[in-house]
Amino acid sequence: MIYISQLLGQKIWDAYGHPLGRLEDILVSATEKNVPPITALLVTKEKDHKEKIFVSSEAISSLWPSITLNVDQAQVKLHELKGSELLLRDRVLDQQIVDTEGKRVVRVNDLQIARKGNRFFLTGVDVSGLGLLRRLGLEKPGKTISRMLNLPDKSHVIPWEYVASIEHDDPLRLSVSQSRIVRMEPADIASVLDDLDHHTTKALLQGFTDEALADTLEESSAEMQVAVLSQLQPERAADVLEAMDPDEAADLLADLPNQTTEQLLTLMDDEDAEEVRSLLGYPEDTAGGIMTTEYSYVPDDITVEEAIAFLRTSEDAEEDEIMYYVYILDKKEKLQGVVSLRDLVMSPPDRPISYWKDEDPIAVNPQTKQEEVAYIVAKYDLLAVPVIDPDTRQMLGIVTVDDALDTVLPTAWKKKLPRFF
Amino acid sequence: MSKYNLRIPLWLRKVGLFLAVLGPGLITASADNDAPGIATYSMAGSTYGYQFLFLILIITFGEVIVQEMAARMGAYTGKGTADLIRERFGVKITTFAMICLLVANLGTTIAQFAGVAAAGELFGISKYITVPIAAIAMTYLVLRGSYKIVEKILLVLCMSAFAYVVVAFMIKPDWIEVTKAFVVPQFTEINSGFILSVLAVIGTTITPWGIFYMQASVADKGIEIEKYGLTRTEVVFGATWGNIISAFIIITTAGTLYVQGIRVESAGEAALALAPIGSAATFLFAVGLLGASLLAVSVLPLSTTYAICEAFGFERGLNRSPKDAPIFYSLFVIIVLISVSIVLLPKMPLFSIMLLSQSVNAILLPVLLVLVIKLANDLIIMNSYGNKRLNNIFAITLTVMISLVTVVLLITSFV
Repeated sequence: MIYISQLLGQKIWDAYGHPLGRLEDILVSATEKNVPPITALLVTKEKDHKEKIFVSSEAISSLWPSITLNVDQAQVKLHELKGSELLLRDRVLDQQIVDTEGKRVVRVNDLQIARKGNRFFLTGVDVSGLGLLRRLGLEKPGKTISRMLNLPDKSHVIPWEYVASIEHDDPLRLSVSQSRIVRMEPADIASVLDDLDHHTTKALLQGFTDEALADTLEESSAEMQVAVLSQLQPERAADVLEAMDPDEAADLLADLPNQTTEQLLTLMDDEDAEEVRSLLGYPEDTAGGIMTTEYSYVPDDITVEEAIAFLRTSEDAEEDEIMYYVYILDKKEKLQGVVSLRDLVMSPPDRPISYWKDEDPIAVNPQTKQEEVAYIVAKYDLLAVPVIDPDTRQMLGIVTVDDALDTVLPTAWKKKLPRFF
Repeated sequence: MSKYNLRIPLWLRKVGLFLAVLGPGLITASADNDAPGIATYSMAGSTYGYQFLFLILIITFGEVIVQEMAARMGAYTGKGTADLIRERFGVKITTFAMICLLVANLGTTIAQFAGVAAAGELFGISKYITVPIAAIAMTYLVLRGSYKIVEKILLVLCMSAFAYVVVAFMIKPDWIEVTKAFVVPQFTEINSGFILSVLAVIGTTITPWGIFYMQASVADKGIEIEKYGLTRTEVVFGATWGNIISAFIIITTAGTLYVQGIRVESAGEAALALAPIGSAATFLFAVGLLGASLLAVSVLPLSTTYAICEAFGFERGLNRSPKDAPIFYSLFVIIVLISVSIVLLPKMPLFSIMLLSQSVNAILLPVLLVLVIKLANDLIIMNSYGNKRLNNIFAITLTVMISLVTVVLLITSFV
């Protein structure tokens, strides 16, 4: 394998063994997504006042063990620069990249180059400690020591196709990276973005679709949510909020200045805005603050068969992401009981829904503390617990198990450097 | 709420408003006067009288310039100092810079634990009890990432540094002479002891970790460059305020100890400077020393670890498990362990360690300053927010000055 660190600074010889100059940098085509071909070498000439020229890759005869050209230096074809190319030393080496397979942010210690036929390609990124030692000229002692200590061979090269290299002011690379990053799980995206600087994070997220951005924001820290949202155009921000779960959207809006919240709510779709508004009234650490208003219900005076038909056409059921439970409500939306979707499907079609009526179903008030909700969920082994108005017994929403347990198992994005000012 | 507000007297509310505006800068400044800082200024004032006031004036300019550069880079790039060094200068220079940073910060961390030990001894508690307890407690709090309340308590303890201001006015020094000392340099003897003190005073005020920490906090907060003006005011105010306190430590120790011929060589002697305040002097001094040391311990090892892992791309962050980020956690623990072990060596001269570590800081500082100045002038990195000519004149002069003092030190110690 050839590494760029072994090539940079090396002498370049022409077909007749005359030195042309030294290798300064390597240019690759950035539009070819998986294995970008090398298009030119940036060479500092030995003569001509150290002039810098781009030598077209067609002239390369070999790169290793020495860089030789297949023509006389007078006939070297100069490469015409295209906008879509990337200088490897200047823009990639030593920069941070996202390893979309390992789901982490790493630094480019070295770049791997491979030959196929007459052409050379950028194949991978070395992010290992061995790559660091190679740069320091200590690869051999490093290998010897790791062999003596019986350490596993830690050279770790990530194929270029799994690498998202990002620079916020480089739109071309940004879009390639976006398409790679968006394939990761939202929670992984959020944790990776947390390790990148603010500019890059914002640039990346702005290229996401509303749905993808909403999913990622739901998994992000409050600080990042606010930072990203405040960068968006108000109309776009409203669209993203609509795509988020109402409880998450409400939490986010609660962190924004009142004026901004009001502006965004006006821009949002009326129905979504109404749900979020009702959630905003509750403190964040109560059942009301963490509940979602998207749940499935059926009326209490029908049969199982009708209930299943009802669910198929119900818009609320459509929005319910998980639907473990179906809640039974009377005409005044009072909670009458609960049935799991499994029981509903497995029951005889003519059984009346009132079969599952329960005088005192397990439920919490909007004011119930989050810890208490977590306790109830754990105690009764529930996947979600309904939230009802204590006076009217009207159903307001549900708290799902993951939101309830969030206090017990906090997501730890916020643990960073302490701040004194 | 409003009902309660009415009961607070108007003047107190005005003070509250004042503190709210100045708060952030004030807090940074308090963190500036850490244990080795107090030790160094006390030594300088008690040994050389007002002579160092002139230097403090120069250093204040220097600190403002350097900290402002770091803050500006953090705001514009959103990246840490170590990030930029690696991306701009490559692996070799980064390795060298990180070794310098590690040595400087390790020295300063040792000095902080020496501060804990010294404060404990003033209360009559052995360092073999205080230092391990402090190390374990702070490590636990830092790694759990939940020390917001502890941090506030420590900041309040640091406020006891105000005692120096009070004492300075109580002892009624000759203010004309004090003012003169600020403007006119009057160095009586130039030997290696004096030069080492000069370096210590520089090194405790303008610190390598201060640069990295400042840039990291500004970058972390995601301050937009458009709103940078406010941050700059904060930075300038913070650096100036910290040095005003430093100047008062020198004025006080000069007025109380220098005149009596007491040259501070231990915490007990340094505490004597606050004697005019009454019987609580030693207590106040010890509490301040302890608060400042612990505060620095909560920041130093962690910010060092962050910088090094950032530079080399090791996985880092307290939201990672030790299994995912082994180097991050081991480095943190190693820094704390080495510092504690050195302080716990029998017969370790606690005060001398604090001074020496700060001199080492100053000697290593130019290496990092050169890199930071180059970064702050880099058009690709900083665009139109790069250094202005005046920034460069001050920063380069400072770097050259520190290097020259180091050279003079080498000459005087060998001749």
